[in-house]
Amino acid sequence: MSILPNKKKNKNEEAYFDYSLLFIVLFLLGFGLVMIYSASSYSALQEFGNESHYLRKQLISVILGLIAMFVVSCVPYDFWKKFYILGYILSAVLIVLVLSPLGVESHKARRWIKLPGVGFNLQPAEVSKLCMILFLAVLVCKLGRDIDGKKGFLWMLFSPLPIAVMIWQITDNLSSAIIVYGISLVMYFVANSHYKYFILIGLIGVVAVAILLFIIFKTDLITGFRAGRILAWKDPEKYSQGTGFQTLQALYAIGSGGAFGKGLGQSMQKLQFLPESQNDMIFSVICEELGLFGAFVVIFLFALLIWRMMVVANNAPDLFGGMLVVGVMAHIAIQAILNIAVVTATIPNTGISLPFISYGGSSVIFLLIEVGLVLNVAKSIRFKEG
Amino acid sequence: MEWGKLLVYHRKKIALLCVLFLTALLFLLGRYCYLIAVKGEHYSTMAEELHERERPIKAKRGRILDRNGRVLADNRSVCTISVIHSQIVDAEQVIDFLSQTLSLSPEFVRKRVEKRSSMERVKSNVDKAIGDLIREANLPGVKVDEDYKRTYTEDYFAGKVLGFTGGDNQGIIGLEVSYDEYLQGTPGIIYATTDAKGLEIEGKGERRKEPVDGADLYTSLDANIQGYALLLAEKVMEEKQAQNVSILVMNPKNGEIYAMVDVPEFNSNEPFVFPEGVDTFAMTEKEKMDALNDMWRNRLVSDTYEPGSTFKIITATIGLENHVVTTSDPFYCPGYIIVDDRRIRCHKVRGHGAQTFVQAIENSCNPSFVTLGLRIGVDRYYEYFERLGLKRKTGIDLPGEAGTIMHQKENMGNVELATVSFGQSFQLTPIQLLTTVSSIINGGTRITPHLGVKAVYEGGEGVVFTYPEQSGMISQETSETMRFLLEKVVSEGGGGNGKVEGFLVGGKTATSQKLPRGSGKYIASFIGFAPADDPQVIAIVIINEPQGMYYGGQIAAPVIRQLYENILPYLEIQGYNE
Repeated sequence: MSILPNKKKNKNEEAYFDYSLLFIVLFLLGFGLVMIYSASSYSALQEFGNESHYLRKQLISVILGLIAMFVVSCVPYDFWKKFYILGYILSAVLIVLVLSPLGVESHKARRWIKLPGVGFNLQPAEVSKLCMILFLAVLVCKLGRDIDGKKGFLWMLFSPLPIAVMIWQITDNLSSAIIVYGISLVMYFVANSHYKYFILIGLIGVVAVAILLFIIFKTDLITGFRAGRILAWKDPEKYSQGTGFQTLQALYAIGSGGAFGKGLGQSMQKLQFLPESQNDMIFSVICEELGLFGAFVVIFLFALLIWRMMVVANNAPDLFGGMLVVGVMAHIAIQAILNIAVVTATIPNTGISLPFISYGGSSVIFLLIEVGLVLNVAKSIRFKEG
Repeated sequence: MEWGKLLVYHRKKIALLCVLFLTALLFLLGRYCYLIAVKGEHYSTMAEELHERERPIKAKRGRILDRNGRVLADNRSVCTISVIHSQIVDAEQVIDFLSQTLSLSPEFVRKRVEKRSSMERVKSNVDKAIGDLIREANLPGVKVDEDYKRTYTEDYFAGKVLGFTGGDNQGIIGLEVSYDEYLQGTPGIIYATTDAKGLEIEGKGERRKEPVDGADLYTSLDANIQGYALLLAEKVMEEKQAQNVSILVMNPKNGEIYAMVDVPEFNSNEPFVFPEGVDTFAMTEKEKMDALNDMWRNRLVSDTYEPGSTFKIITATIGLENHVVTTSDPFYCPGYIIVDDRRIRCHKVRGHGAQTFVQAIENSCNPSFVTLGLRIGVDRYYEYFERLGLKRKTGIDLPGEAGTIMHQKENMGNVELATVSFGQSFQLTPIQLLTTVSSIINGGTRITPHLGVKAVYEGGEGVVFTYPEQSGMISQETSETMRFLLEKVVSEGGGGNGKVEGFLVGGKTATSQKLPRGSGKYIASFIGFAPADDPQVIAIVIINEPQGMYYGGQIAAPVIRQLYENILPYLEIQGYNE
């Protein structure tokens, strides 16, 4: 327990509040708003005649999210246990609703549903990430010792599958499906006492990816949209007019920023060269404007956030709380890592937003709700020494 | 319900997970550093290329000057009007406004306005006043660029020599073409920073590469001589109702051309406008183009003709060089000569009777020259024809020089040789004839006729053009004899009208019958040079299809006389003879 700060610690087992975690998140949010304004003001002026169009919308979402976070952080997390099946069903229903007239299409993909009367579009994939974390955390507790056996294997690997497949197929959002399933795998990994299976799964995964890449690069057996993106990842300049366009534009931004950056607001790539500059590609605008410093700060903040969550998870009063925090940690970490990997052309292009920073209302609200959960788990840590 | 406690292995795994995530982030930071350190410059350069739009800055075209520095071709400021599709706000307004101010059809403007290109030119060479008007209207998407337009000091002066330029300020004919690379200069570039749609970003600053203006071309033309020759040519054309009249004045020692006139001349400032009286209404586009090309045609360089008696100069030279004739050799002319089965008539039906070679050339006696040609023989004649450079082009620095049309050697029998001897049955350009005669009278140096002397860039740097010369074409002795003979032609013979008070003039007349023979169409010409003992200037006049009197000695020689009466004193004053 020594790694915990001494702040707010007293002999009466008073509540502990993880301010460092809160401040990291607030810093990321603030930084995100500044960068969204910088990245989007030009396009916003061109498209909406108002340079703070995106900033305003995001600011509203952030405020809503912060309120939700505060509320959730005050509700004992045990309260949410009973909703685990309801949450699972809810995410399934919301995903299916995308197909209904409530569904909203944007950026050539139907991924949102309109919330009547609110004027706010909800992305069900973001809801299902939260619901999946809750569902699996409860499931791990329910399975108890069976988690190590066949029962645990089947439940943990197959229960998230329908939701992931629905996200992939219905909302045409492979990235979110991968994240949902990635969170599940991480939670299974932590809950389980085995190592060797996961090493095996990891090896099989690496081999499978290698074979897939070999087939795509060396033969013409697999073609189409995804294969094109993978080819473009390997050589973005060759496919610069098509699938490699976004990747190459991100690399241009990183390259022209250099180590020192061009200065805040000075990005050229955001002048509609870089698609989604305030969204999935915001990290490249950060790199272009702030250089190594900006990139380092962002990566360092995420590292700090992950570390703080690890501390909270390890000190959680029970397995349920621990698993909740692990899920949230996995969510944020996977998304941040994949986003930065895409922008630096480390992996093929796939639409993943940068948590807390990228533009996107649903994403930031549900991330903040998750942070609220973590904060509440942190609050529940009891200190018995003294 | 047992909710379970966090076990040791849970904590270990959470810690391991944290380590894995942090490792991944560290790796990505490394990857980012690699990108900016190793590939940064590459991507940065590519990005800059992407962000920059290049806008050319026109270079000012070099002027064309005469040998005394008088400006013959200059530039004036005009505007180029373009539209940028992505910046246009109100397309209809732009179409309306531009079609009205530029007097273009709305359809023409619409096509350009609606074309999705970065920049589309609507009209160039717009008057600066109109350009200013359009700039003041300040319509988004309409761009007015300052530009230069070629202007020529005189409308009708030397259009066929100087040429003119097209819409892109590139040379189309004449010196404007042959010296285009010097005149054009190097355009500058404005690198403007733009967004993805090509919109220029204010305040981002633009880099400029300044244009290098074209070099001024100094020519060997003398505007005074050109002007006077033009006057004479126009006068004789009108008097003789001729199709056209060409005059070429050259320095026989180095090939510098003083004047090159081929009337009717066209208006250099309006090269696409036909002279009054030409009905273009019924013409197809091709016919119109042909008519324009004909109007622009420099007959001294691009057209061949049968030289007639002026070519006797060459026959005499070949005879002297081969020692088959001396000035005192006797010839007899009964008014005709039989070659094989052909009877070739002399222009003097009664015949010249007995005469020396000097008299034969004074009289321009055909039978005597046929006799001489046959004495030389096909082999030697042909050898000299080639050696004197008659089968090659002169290499004049004007585009479109025509070659000589000559018999194949193996097809050349006595009849062909006989006709060639007095300048018939083959064709060459006037510039070729004058150049060859120059090399005969200048002591045997084949010179390259030319107009370009030097190209001078702003600041004084430049190029002085040199032209090939080949000496020893004929012996000094032959050259001297030829000068003597041709002086005799003017002082004693058929070139008497070429005499100039106070100057020794040498020369030769010619009256060639145009094909088909008997059509009654003639070309009257005269070549004259002065002073005959040390030629400083040589000139040829060619009168195409004169009406009435058509003898070269009667109508062409006086033209050169008038020219020389005027320019010989002038050349002395100018010190050309030094």
